[in-house]
Amino acid sequence: MSRFVLPAAALLAWSAGAAVSGSYYRSPFPPPSEIHTPADGAAGDMFALAFGARRLFADVWFIRLMQYYGTPEFCEHEEHGTDAHAHHHCGENGEGKYPEFLARSRHVLEIDPGFTMAALYAAGSLAFNMGRQAEAEELLHYALKYSPKEWKYLKVLAAIGYTKADDPAAVAAAIAPILKDPDCPVMLKQQAAFLNKKIGNYPAAAAIYADIAATSRDTAYVRNAERELEKLSRLPPVKRKSP
Amino acid sequence: MRILRLIRAVAANSFSESVRHRFFTLFFVFACTAIYASVLAGVMAVDQEARVLTDFGLAFMELTALAYALFNAASVLPKEAETKTIYLVFSRPVPRWAYLAGKLAGSLLTSALMLAVMGAMHLLLLKVRGFGVPPCYAWALAGSLLKLSVITSFAFFVSLFSTSAVSTMVISGVFWTAGHFASETRFLAEQSGGVKAGVFKAAMWLIPNFQLFNTRDAAGAACALGPAAFLSAAAWVCGAYLAALCLISKKEF
Repeated sequence: MSRFVLPAAALLAWSAGAAVSGSYYRSPFPPPSEIHTPADGAAGDMFALAFGARRLFADVWFIRLMQYYGTPEFCEHEEHGTDAHAHHHCGENGEGKYPEFLARSRHVLEIDPGFTMAALYAAGSLAFNMGRQAEAEELLHYALKYSPKEWKYLKVLAAIGYTKADDPAAVAAAIAPILKDPDCPVMLKQQAAFLNKKIGNYPAAAAIYADIAATSRDTAYVRNAERELEKLSRLPPVKRKSP
Repeated sequence: MRILRLIRAVAANSFSESVRHRFFTLFFVFACTAIYASVLAGVMAVDQEARVLTDFGLAFMELTALAYALFNAASVLPKEAETKTIYLVFSRPVPRWAYLAGKLAGSLLTSALMLAVMGAMHLLLLKVRGFGVPPCYAWALAGSLLKLSVITSFAFFVSLFSTSAVSTMVISGVFWTAGHFASETRFLAEQSGGVKAGVFKAAMWLIPNFQLFNTRDAAGAACALGPAAFLSAAAWVCGAYLAALCLISKKEF
């Protein structure tokens, strides 16, 4: 009889652990049926799940997304006159089609639905740089499914609505509350600064550019912000005031 | 009181032996890799450097501690039997359950120390790069320690019937990865029917749910470990300990 006591106690304790875990644990992650690996990366996804390293692999996917979007998609070759002056124009500032952009950005969220900054970056790029508002909305709705209380997504959705209505002042006002948030991607700040400049709100634009120059680690954005600040400082004092 | 003193003595001995082992310097590998990764992350992740450094550090820290914990748990009991040290211990009035509890406590203390050392190095590196302590950092480390406690006690149990330390490490490694698929297993159990569903449900009962402790991945959301996590960890450690005790009681030393 006593030889069964220890194995029975072990089984009982083990089952108690499984019972407690089973009744309290609810996965905050998308089910496997929602994970669509857009490129060669199935092994990475397997590691992400097997080692419980979703955030780390979402970071890797996000870096790959930035590299994908940062690589000029096309180059146009132009020749000027008879003196054979050639000019290469490569897609810059996010120009291009980037057909895999939505799938890749959605995949980052499929792996880590809590990666707010990635969702904002991808939605902002799709809506404001590539003019694909429908895809940006689709991505934000997917992100909201797993983070329904994320107010920043709602603000960007509102901004996309104003973009469709061609109201840059409303777009700038909609994304303004996000700008001070640590999750705000520098691309969105740049977009806000550009919109403020476009509607003539130069002090707001200058403040955003100054923030980019002071806080961003991306040298391209910092250099651009410094250039813009210099241009804004050369404006006549009357123009520099708020509209 | 005497029994507690005995357990403490075995644990202290096991702890000091583990710390003095050459393999414990594995955390130096962590330090070098973390510094190398920080240089890479700075170039590639740009404005997300803090997040990438934190995620990489926490994941790599856990894997380094896991490698050491499995090596330690897989070799400590067979080595004591091989060197006949265990005979010396059992020739004195040391109950087997106290010996096993002491050995397990020593191993868990070593894992905790290793996590603490690597955590301090990681935080120092983050500070050097100009970042503060990431949110939920302590919870992430606590979650890793709970995972290590469960897998270490399981490896102790496996080491008592497996033929070599390598096979113990392989079995425990498979168990570790399977434990991270708990939510996927539950999904499959809900989606399938008949025998398949039964198999998945059995797997859910047999394999501990390591996602319950995986605060690293939940950082940013609700990251505090709930009482369920501590209760489950305690139950699984207790279950594996009792199973190991069952095996060690039957062995002739």
